[in-house]
Amino acid sequence: MKRMRTLAGISILALVLAACSSGTTDTAAEETAAALDDSNCAAAESFCVGLVTDIGKVDDKSFNQSAWEGAQAAAAEVGGFAKYIETTDTKDYAANMKQFTDKGYDVIVTVGFLMAEASVAAAKENPNTKFIGVDQFQAEEVANLTGLIFPEDQAGYAAGYLAGLLTKTNKLGQVLGLEIAPVQKFAKGFEAGAKAANANVAVTTVYHPPADNGFGDPVWGAAEAKKQLSQGADIIFGAGGGTGNGALIEIAKAEGAGTSIFCIGVDTDQWGTVPEAQPCLVTSAMKGLVEGTSDLVKAAFDGSIKGGNFNGTTGLADYHDLASAVSADIQAKVAEIVAGLKDGSIMTGVTL
Amino acid sequence: MTITESKKDKDLGFFVRNQSIVVPIAAIFVAFVLGGILISLQGVNPLVAYRAIFSEAWFDSDGLLRTFQKTTPLVLAGLAVTVALRIGLFNIGAQGQLISAALASALAGIYITNLPAILHVIVSLICGVVVGALWAAIAGLLKAYRGVHEVISTIMLNSIAVGILDYLVSNPFREPDQSLQRTKKIAESAILPNFGVIPFGFILAILVCLLVSWMLNRTTAGFRFNTVGKNKFAASYAGINMKLMIVTGMLLSGGLAGLGGAIETLGITYRFEPAFNSGLGFDGITIALLARSNPLATIPAAILVGTLRAGGASLQFNTGIEPEIVDVLLAITLLLVSAPILAKFLFKGKAQKTANVTSGWGS
Repeated sequence: MKRMRTLAGISILALVLAACSSGTTDTAAEETAAALDDSNCAAAESFCVGLVTDIGKVDDKSFNQSAWEGAQAAAAEVGGFAKYIETTDTKDYAANMKQFTDKGYDVIVTVGFLMAEASVAAAKENPNTKFIGVDQFQAEEVANLTGLIFPEDQAGYAAGYLAGLLTKTNKLGQVLGLEIAPVQKFAKGFEAGAKAANANVAVTTVYHPPADNGFGDPVWGAAEAKKQLSQGADIIFGAGGGTGNGALIEIAKAEGAGTSIFCIGVDTDQWGTVPEAQPCLVTSAMKGLVEGTSDLVKAAFDGSIKGGNFNGTTGLADYHDLASAVSADIQAKVAEIVAGLKDGSIMTGVTL
Repeated sequence: MTITESKKDKDLGFFVRNQSIVVPIAAIFVAFVLGGILISLQGVNPLVAYRAIFSEAWFDSDGLLRTFQKTTPLVLAGLAVTVALRIGLFNIGAQGQLISAALASALAGIYITNLPAILHVIVSLICGVVVGALWAAIAGLLKAYRGVHEVISTIMLNSIAVGILDYLVSNPFREPDQSLQRTKKIAESAILPNFGVIPFGFILAILVCLLVSWMLNRTTAGFRFNTVGKNKFAASYAGINMKLMIVTGMLLSGGLAGLGGAIETLGITYRFEPAFNSGLGFDGITIALLARSNPLATIPAAILVGTLRAGGASLQFNTGIEPEIVDVLLAITLLLVSAPILAKFLFKGKAQKTANVTSGWGS
């Protein structure tokens, strides 16, 4: 009997394996071939774009997702092909980029400050491949590497200014991802803007402790947001991929969300990407990631791309349904600040 | 009954006698089948997906180097958990011991200068081993003299280690003018080299593995370990000093985990950054259970995990499947190995008790 059981068990498993492999072979193989055809990337007439994330996922509803959308849109526009790899181990940056260079990809977009050093090394090793480093400031120019950088402090300043005018408790909070330059610029800009609007305001700022889940820790983000709410903060800026999203979603659940408690999103207009946050989401401090990435990929296609740094744009998202909670007076003042930041008449004064 | 049947019974007897090998292999097989179903649900042929992993991890020279690099700390972390299991202790703190050691060896690699290369590497490795061992010894002392359960204390020591290391790399030992929290790069003389696709650390890990296996199976110390693990009351009655055994067991366990962290720093990352080394100590638990606390079996178990991790990028590149499927495979395997379901199904009444993990509980 025992033998029978063993044999039965093994044969069932074998059948399942056979079923799932043979059943899908033909259709799936064809589908994947259509969706993932990069066999011609090495040829001169083809245009292939590869994207590597640092530690986030491409569906993070903010930073990585925007860069990926930009890369996809540009590739589609010029008739090219785009594909991504999500890094799971920070030691694998080089290996992940190599997947693309081995296949003769024309452009590699590396997304995130954490990949800055690895991108420089890869660009030097592959002089015929164009590299676009999102959020990677280039101190020294490498001919085939373009850093896409943003004045995050300006978007942070505008958001902070709005928060400073809107707060009733004079207490603001920030729940942030890792303490790296782009995030610090957002945070310091937010604080400067809030203080400029309202000298009595106090801002509590917390960064995620260094770890490989700094931008993917919604549980931590939610806990920190809760803490800040209980300390009396009524407007909280959640900036840091999945970590920030966790904070936003937590605040949306708070009593008074949308009337006395507000949250501010980051990177993209998170009204659309994080619908759970809509009850409290008054605006988002946006980076023009989609346009910036897409512009640079297209520039790489037509050959006009240059090494060094490329400045993207920032701005504030629409108020959407919460426009009624922001008085016309405040809206006008914030619009003035945004315009002033744009034409250079207002400086954020943020230095790192 | 008939001759053929009794012969078949003998064949089956072979499997029953070697359950510690049969069960993990069957578990891996089942995990791959279930993983295959998940993969095919996403419209990809599982065989294509598995081929993408293995061809990258084994048949590409860069990939093979990465497989060995990823396997090395896993062998040692697995060994650390195994050694503790042998005396009935469940060391969940391999992660904390490993990262403390990674920082210690990085600091030795940075701040000790004017040593010749070979000596510098050895000193840095020893620094890592000592710090890992001492960190584990805290849990050992708490267990021996205060009866604190090692599962609780090692879990908490993991968090304490993370906090202390964050402070140390954010402040005193932070690389100057660097916005990331990380140390400087170690000196050239402290770097562990690669021999082609074989990292030196891998060879070291294999040697240590053989040494531990010999120690456990062929020496008096090993006999004491096993006696304590089998029955601590009998061991105590036989005159074995239990307190000493618990503390030395944890020292040895932490030292092994520490060696893993030190090799990682000196051979791969060349500096300490909190984002490195994540999850290695916890993978060690998977490996020890998969290896059924047999030190030599940690090598193939670690190679399996290392292979899956090294091939993850190629999997996503070639099929679009998210690399997290690897964690699903490992989780299913671990579940089947540690829960006695599979063994009971295959061997019914003749199923052996699962590894001596459980003996550590509740004592």
